[in-house]
Amino acid sequence: METKTVKQKPLFEGEPIYSMWLRELLRFFAMPSRILATFASPFTWLVLLGVPLSQVFPTGDIQSMFGGLTFFAFIVPGVLSMGLLFGGTNSGVTVLWDKEFGFLKEVMVAPVRRTSLMIGRSLGALTIALLQAVTTICLALILGIWLGFKIISVSGFVLALGFMIITFFAFVGFGLTLGAMIEETEGFMTIIRMIEFPMFFLSGALLPINMIKGIPVLYQLQFVNPLTYGVDGIRGLLTGAFFLPAWIDLTVIVAFALLFLFLGAYAFSRMEVD
Amino acid sequence: MMEDVIEVHQLTKKFGDFAAVDHIDFTVRRGEIFGFVGPNGAGKSTTIKMLTTMLHPTSGSARICGYDVAKESDEVRRHIGIVFQDRSSDDYLTGRQNLDFHARMYGMSKRDREEKMEEVLDLLELKGKENIRLRILPEGVRRRFEVARGFMTRPDVVFLDEPTIGFDIKARMDLWNQIKTAREKEGVTVSLTTHFIEEANYLCDRVAIIDKARIVALDTPRKLKEAVGTDLISVQIADRMERKAAFMEKVKDFEWVKSVEEYSNSILLNAESGEGRVADLIDFADAQGFVIISIDEHEPSLEDVFVHFTGRTIREAEGEATGMRPGKTVGEM
Repeated sequence: METKTVKQKPLFEGEPIYSMWLRELLRFFAMPSRILATFASPFTWLVLLGVPLSQVFPTGDIQSMFGGLTFFAFIVPGVLSMGLLFGGTNSGVTVLWDKEFGFLKEVMVAPVRRTSLMIGRSLGALTIALLQAVTTICLALILGIWLGFKIISVSGFVLALGFMIITFFAFVGFGLTLGAMIEETEGFMTIIRMIEFPMFFLSGALLPINMIKGIPVLYQLQFVNPLTYGVDGIRGLLTGAFFLPAWIDLTVIVAFALLFLFLGAYAFSRMEVD
Repeated sequence: MMEDVIEVHQLTKKFGDFAAVDHIDFTVRRGEIFGFVGPNGAGKSTTIKMLTTMLHPTSGSARICGYDVAKESDEVRRHIGIVFQDRSSDDYLTGRQNLDFHARMYGMSKRDREEKMEEVLDLLELKGKENIRLRILPEGVRRRFEVARGFMTRPDVVFLDEPTIGFDIKARMDLWNQIKTAREKEGVTVSLTTHFIEEANYLCDRVAIIDKARIVALDTPRKLKEAVGTDLISVQIADRMERKAAFMEKVKDFEWVKSVEEYSNSILLNAESGEGRVADLIDFADAQGFVIISIDEHEPSLEDVFVHFTGRTIREAEGEATGMRPGKTVGEM
């Protein structure tokens, strides 16, 4: 044979990452049901849960427990983080989905780094999650005129977006790790939901974490839940009402993100093609 | 000129104690259409998976365009196109988007992508369908987009794993001809697996018959059929006054007649290959006063070849194979 030139793969592969990102968005906009679900879900929580419940509480003694916020203002960051939890985890988990339906097979034998594939699709899912978050905030600001939600500062909003991105990636890694751990695809989504909902309910998204101090097991579980720190950070940055020290929120969520992304990337790179 | 683009030496894949591919050797020359024929579970797909870097060989080696499939998998990947057995395109995207996405992954420039896109759409007669989402197109068209994708990145070798499974006859013929045209236009080497004998016969320059993890025969379809060594001659005799039975008895005297069978209303002679058998039979019938209504000589099919080399039909072989494969690859071959 003639002399061989072995090309090294570059460390950063712009084109494949961009392609995967683009593909995620094209897919998203090709599925009306997904578009609807993405934008209708925050609407449901804010309007159908937030509006009625802000008629009944917080009042009297428990007012201070909510950090001085109305119930509506309190759950806006909760609804935002729910989008990040579900969106991020699903993005990680659907790697397995694609593997099952064959699409991933095609890219897995392309001469590109697997991590580039992962980065590209996560960025795609992140874009969708941020679109959802911004829509949610806009809706919340409109309803907030009557229900008492406003953003304390522009810098707080920008920092909150940054915090959302970190939180999102923590759950992408979480989803990837779960996807790699659970081999069977039947009933897989049910298992994912069984993990996601408890995480959501025990994160201080809908009720202040201190409110359940009387039930020690549940109270303590909140502190091993990464979402708790995500919710608190986003809420603090948007509304000024921190329930935990801001530096703890940041440290813990960054640590979770790094840990899960590392585990997820490891699992992904070891994944066999078929 | 006749450079070997695929070189396989003692290639073996074991799953536990089970050898799915057992010390096989072969080479494929540039521009050839090379086929693996055998029953499900014989080791065809496992071989293709090793050649396309999807599975690591247990032992032995394989080189594509000089690059080792295990040690230089990225280089191998740059030189090949793959059409998987099961669906592997994104149904929510259009054919064009799928092809474009694939080409981007291989680092093709925009101009190059567009140019090549026109070519492959033309080649597989997909013009006018490229902007429709795949999910609303018929299965056969979707499959053709996957074949188009295999040719998209100007590979040296295209691997097709059971390319026409589930096709009707018309679609199958079309795809065969398109693959042949592609080979001529692009000078590309094609390697395919099939358990569909006619496909190998029509399409392949050379065929490897694979059974129980080993290559039992490898040659051009014509030479393989010659190796069977017998031709089949069917004769219809006007059956007046036990003439048919008499003919069957007398024809056995020819030393080249190996066996005589009655098959519905004709007589089937299994004959050693050679020239002038039909003429001899006609002369003989004339001399003995038999009236021949029809006579027909035909070559053995590749199916007969499979029986010759393995002692059973492909269908029988597939029956045996069920249940003996390791769980991981059931339904894969």
